[in-house]
Amino acid sequence: MPGDPSLSIIPRDPKFRGLRDYMISFFGLDRPQWEQFVIYLQRLFTLDWGVSYQDHRPVADILFHDLGWTLLLVGTSTIITILIGIAVGAYSAVRRGKAFDFVSTGIGIFLYGMPIFWLGLVLQSAFRKNSVFQTWIPGWPALPTSGYYDDRLIPWNWDIVHLADAGLHLLLPALTLSLGTLAGISLVMRNSLIDVMTEDFVTTARAKGLSPRQVLRRHILPNGLPPMVSLIALDIAFILGGAYQVEVIFRYQGIGFRTIEAIGSLDYPLLQFIIVIGGVAVVLANLLSDFLLLWLDPRIKIS
Amino acid sequence: MGTVDVVKVPGAISPFRARATVVSRRMQDIGLQVFHNKTAMAGLIILLFFTFLAVAAPLIAPYSPLTAVPDVGPLTLPGGVHPFGTNQFGYDIYSQVIWGTQISLLVGVLAAGVASVIGTAVGLISGFVGGWIDEVIMRFNDVVLSIPWLVLMIVVAARLNYLDLAGIILVIGLTGWSVTARVVRSQVLSLKERMFVERGRMIGSSNAHILLRHIFPNAFPLIFANTILTVAISILSESVLAFLNLSVKSNVSWGRIIAEAYQHDALTIGMAAWIIVPGLCIVFLVFGFYLFGYALDEILNPRLRRR
Repeated sequence: MPGDPSLSIIPRDPKFRGLRDYMISFFGLDRPQWEQFVIYLQRLFTLDWGVSYQDHRPVADILFHDLGWTLLLVGTSTIITILIGIAVGAYSAVRRGKAFDFVSTGIGIFLYGMPIFWLGLVLQSAFRKNSVFQTWIPGWPALPTSGYYDDRLIPWNWDIVHLADAGLHLLLPALTLSLGTLAGISLVMRNSLIDVMTEDFVTTARAKGLSPRQVLRRHILPNGLPPMVSLIALDIAFILGGAYQVEVIFRYQGIGFRTIEAIGSLDYPLLQFIIVIGGVAVVLANLLSDFLLLWLDPRIKIS
Repeated sequence: MGTVDVVKVPGAISPFRARATVVSRRMQDIGLQVFHNKTAMAGLIILLFFTFLAVAAPLIAPYSPLTAVPDVGPLTLPGGVHPFGTNQFGYDIYSQVIWGTQISLLVGVLAAGVASVIGTAVGLISGFVGGWIDEVIMRFNDVVLSIPWLVLMIVVAARLNYLDLAGIILVIGLTGWSVTARVVRSQVLSLKERMFVERGRMIGSSNAHILLRHIFPNAFPLIFANTILTVAISILSESVLAFLNLSVKSNVSWGRIIAEAYQHDALTIGMAAWIIVPGLCIVFLVFGFYLFGYALDEILNPRLRRR
């Protein structure tokens, strides 16, 4: 990203010298950096978020459009991940040391170490038209591998055809992101539950003659879930990082795709606002998780 | 009068010898546990394999990673002396993958080292000093944690203004210490309440002495296990940066090989190995570090050992 953004806006020709100087002073690039920062802060709070160097549109307009798609992607995959992750984590905690635990933990660590962009590439090539698998295995599905929905369906309409197509296009990116972030949640869930299982009240519950299922649902889960909530909220920053890679691979033009574009074209106002949005998203997620915790765990009080 | 006679007790050893004995016994103990732990050994074997690959790259790799091979042109399909084919400049991909081990390992280990040193220092000070300093540091840490790491790395890269090997290591290291700082801080908070700290205070030890001689050594095993896990994350970070063309240009790393393969549509032109093999290398190396790190964590972390 280092570089002079004016060079990417204005042709490198001496006759544009005046325009270049005008642009530099117009965008305030000739001021000291701390002053630029103060100006930015002031504009941030007066809802003047700047104009993109490339598109010449307000960055908020550009990014709120992108944000919708990113939220759809991240939201879908996060819900899938949490549901599956908690189920797998809980089951392997209960069957600790057994085959299921061993296999799921192994696969979990394996997936955890997989670069998400690479996973995306592999899935993309496995499910595209005329993939290797299609020639070998009859009935192997071909899924759309890029974009929000089919180009032939432009412009967007709120009808069943468009929604179904968008869902189909969402499948692979969401699957990639889910697989990439699943392990984090299931492994932590497993460890958190195993922690709880060593507590005395669990032994007491067993001694009372409750069935293993009752012990799990009434005693272990209520105590093991709250730490998960704050961890998932902290994970949001990580999931966003994954979403960036997924969006680039599947040309799913959300915030992440826009970020990489903005880096390439040195579009500072756009990048600044992307960082602001990222920060706000994480803060919001943490706030939400605190409220959720308050509701889940009656012992927590607001001090 | 006024002098103290040093009484020689037969069989007594100096405090330094005693300390050395305790430390070496503990190391032996840990070594033995690692040896008997299947997960740790599996991880260690993977790590040794890749370390061997990295060190012996000049001997194993048949070609140089950044010069065109003499016998065939660019984008040759896999086969014969070029098991994975050649890339768009006619470099041998098999050699590139082997040489790439060096960069991925080097960046991973050194960046994790940078992150661990910063994270440990911040965590020690924050947890030990407490009060408003702790509050300020932790809120700053929250801010760092709340920015998506990819964007954070890009911003730091821009500030550093250059990206050679040292640059990329600094970028990953400077953005990766938050989690370590948290882990160390919480460990310090619990160690601070232990009896030996109070005893140290009673005999008049300075804060620095307590921190460096009592708290740090006790937190060290945890820090070490955490560093191993950080190496895994750093390797992943480097591969992502390389894939986005933000890493070093003068060296071959696995991420960069994948990026080039992606740009040249390796999968459609029948050169799947170009993309699959470096990817699997990353997966297995990271897998090795995770296995070893988790097992070490379980061995060194007394809270987990109880079970």
